[in-house]
Amino acid sequence: MKWMLGFLLIVAVSFAGEAESQVLARPHDLWDIIYKIWLIISVVIYAVVAIPSLYFMVKYRFKPGEREIGDQEHEGHWGLEALWTIVPLIIVLYLATHGFALFTQMRKPPENAMELKVTAFAWGWMFQYPNGKMVIAQAIKDTDDKKCKPEECYGIDGVFQNYVYIPAGVPIKAVLTSQDVIHSFYVQPAGVTQDMVPGRTTYAWFQINKPGEYWVFCREYCGQWHSRMFAKLKVVPKEEFDKWLKGEVADTGHEGADFKTANIENNKAQEVVR
Amino acid sequence: MREAIPAHKPWFSASLWEWIFTTDHKKIGIMYGVTSTVFFIVAGLMALGMRLELFNPGAQYIKPETYNWFLTVHGAVILLWWAIGVWASFANFLIPLMIGARDVAFPRLNALGYWMFFAASVIALLTFIPGNHIMTMWTGYPPLASTEGIGFAGTTALFVFIWHLTGFASIAGAVNFLTTVISMRQPGIGFFNMNLFLHGIMAANVIQLLGVPSVAGAVTMLFLDTYLGTNFFNPDKGGDPVLYQNLFWFYSHPAVYVMVLPAFGVISEVVSAFARKPIFGYKSMAVAIWAIALVGFMVWTHHMFVSGIPDWVKILMSYTTLLIAVPTGIKIFNWVATLYKAAIQYRTPMLYALGAILMFLIGGLTGIPLGIPAFDIAVHDSYFVVGHFHYVLGMAVTLSAFAGFFYWWPKVTGKMYPEGLGKLSFWVILVGSNLLYFIQLIIGIWGMPRRYYDYPPIDSWITMHQLQTYGAFILAFGVLLAIIALIKGAISGEKAPDNPWMSNSLEWRLPSPPPPHNFDEPPKVEEDYCPHGYCKF
Repeated sequence: MKWMLGFLLIVAVSFAGEAESQVLARPHDLWDIIYKIWLIISVVIYAVVAIPSLYFMVKYRFKPGEREIGDQEHEGHWGLEALWTIVPLIIVLYLATHGFALFTQMRKPPENAMELKVTAFAWGWMFQYPNGKMVIAQAIKDTDDKKCKPEECYGIDGVFQNYVYIPAGVPIKAVLTSQDVIHSFYVQPAGVTQDMVPGRTTYAWFQINKPGEYWVFCREYCGQWHSRMFAKLKVVPKEEFDKWLKGEVADTGHEGADFKTANIENNKAQEVVR
Repeated sequence: MREAIPAHKPWFSASLWEWIFTTDHKKIGIMYGVTSTVFFIVAGLMALGMRLELFNPGAQYIKPETYNWFLTVHGAVILLWWAIGVWASFANFLIPLMIGARDVAFPRLNALGYWMFFAASVIALLTFIPGNHIMTMWTGYPPLASTEGIGFAGTTALFVFIWHLTGFASIAGAVNFLTTVISMRQPGIGFFNMNLFLHGIMAANVIQLLGVPSVAGAVTMLFLDTYLGTNFFNPDKGGDPVLYQNLFWFYSHPAVYVMVLPAFGVISEVVSAFARKPIFGYKSMAVAIWAIALVGFMVWTHHMFVSGIPDWVKILMSYTTLLIAVPTGIKIFNWVATLYKAAIQYRTPMLYALGAILMFLIGGLTGIPLGIPAFDIAVHDSYFVVGHFHYVLGMAVTLSAFAGFFYWWPKVTGKMYPEGLGKLSFWVILVGSNLLYFIQLIIGIWGMPRRYYDYPPIDSWITMHQLQTYGAFILAFGVLLAIIALIKGAISGEKAPDNPWMSNSLEWRLPSPPPPHNFDEPPKVEEDYCPHGYCKF
């Protein structure tokens, strides 16, 4: 038991050390730590249960004339039962506490984070940058258009589907709310999910270090075209992003101004929960 | 002692009239079982439809509305009809036999409970009429479910009535089962030497009694919001949609223990019977069941880790959630220890039960990280969650239910099932399920969101979805084999002896099938009665 705890600590420390190097996205690096710890513990536990089971299953088969009845005296052992109560208890307490520590870090946006206001609607998002620039990501115009090929449906030339520009290496604090029903905001490379609840403001923060194109999905079921509620992040170097933000780079697709977003600003009172 | 008593017909020769007006717990149990299994098959066919649609990205065979309707009905039916309803069947049939009673405590209430369940079934079938489709998902979150026109949620009223009627049936059943076990046991059968299946059923039904009112209130408010203009969950008028989630999960998380605790009971019965020795650690097994039921009421917000609740609540519920792993672990270790120095006979029920244990372990181990908010934040509402609960419900619960079907089939029908076909069905189901559900875990880690009718054309995702579809069809074939084996057994099987498994439990001392009044005279239970394991008597 002691060696096991020691082993877990070593594993935890070694993964924590690894996370310091260049990572694709934050806070996914923290998630990676808990993921690896969980994976190792799970495989060990599965082996600890499955190997003896399979051994017993083979060894203690029913054999006519030789082994027709199990050992009737063998019906409990307090020492063993206490052992497999206490060891799992220690493991889960460790997991919950380590998870607690990581979660506190994952929920705390860095001081220099750029604030991005995101408002969800069925089925898309309106992104608002600090200088007021808006981008709409919406793949479904009306409820009947389903006859597109997958490459077209998920391409950037969708109805209002614009790239959502994000500066590389800059932490983003996404302030989230919804206009109609509950949606969700999942930044795939960063591994953060946060529901967007009408009447509430929630937040999530992320930082993507490597330029490229990344997915954002809605993960809370929001009706007919839930599955086409996605956005594409275009992560670009900081200088390029600043140019785009000032409007010096021609955008693909449409600017968001012509959509129903005019009333976003004076929308219903958005009580700030935290 | 048990020479034929021709005065009573066996249950299967009863007329339709007798079925409709029966208060016999065995007939009601069989009606529950048939209803659950029929709906299990319907929900399974809907899952096959969804898997076909997901075989390739893009719209293929069905519209998104149809897909969402399939998904809603699949979820609601598998949970309420199969995973909960099938245990009502086992409980009805077995409780009086296991405690030596003639019937349950309130036979007429029991019949009323079944017919409420039947009414819910009729409503579930009404949703098949175009225009009545429900597309709320089985959770029915407002404001989607309570707002006309946005997002196409379908007919919320039918969703609400399904919950009300199945909830009524659950409460009627719970009152009955608890009263029966508490007050109608034969002298000699105490709480610490009765079948573990009875502990599982009792704990599950305590949860039903305490939890169902919460979800019934939630869906009632949903109904009022939708049709009568109240604003419980309407944020524009000061309501709060997250309130619904709290009320809903306060029942619906413990509800998973309603589904799984009786399954644990069945596994214990079957494992100890075919290992031919007593269950290891009976007392810790019984205490673990009750501990799970108790702690199970304190973990519900792990379904809401990303709903915008305060972070400290998440941490608190993270600890309580992980605590559930401890009693669950005790049960698994005790089952493994039961196999030590056993004399294991590999009959079909034993294969199903052992499969359920080893697969439930995967379900449990993948459940642990979902209780850690730091992990959950990346996989919440992803296919990882889908894979996790399919390992628990699709494997642990379903395999145990099949183990129970095969185990008690000789008692219920009086006929033996075909052994070879039964074993084959187990292996086919095991291969198909693992192909389907393990890939769901992998693709969930990659980020695939759940409840998606369509997905982006990423090559690795397409491959994984196609493998899942193959797995689903293998699984369906296995279920078909199992059902054929059971039906073939019931129609043309050999005549079953009273006690084919040499179990010491009370229900095996009756003729197969049992006479309508169960016991001719109150059974004498020996001093050191132990319902588990092999005994010569």
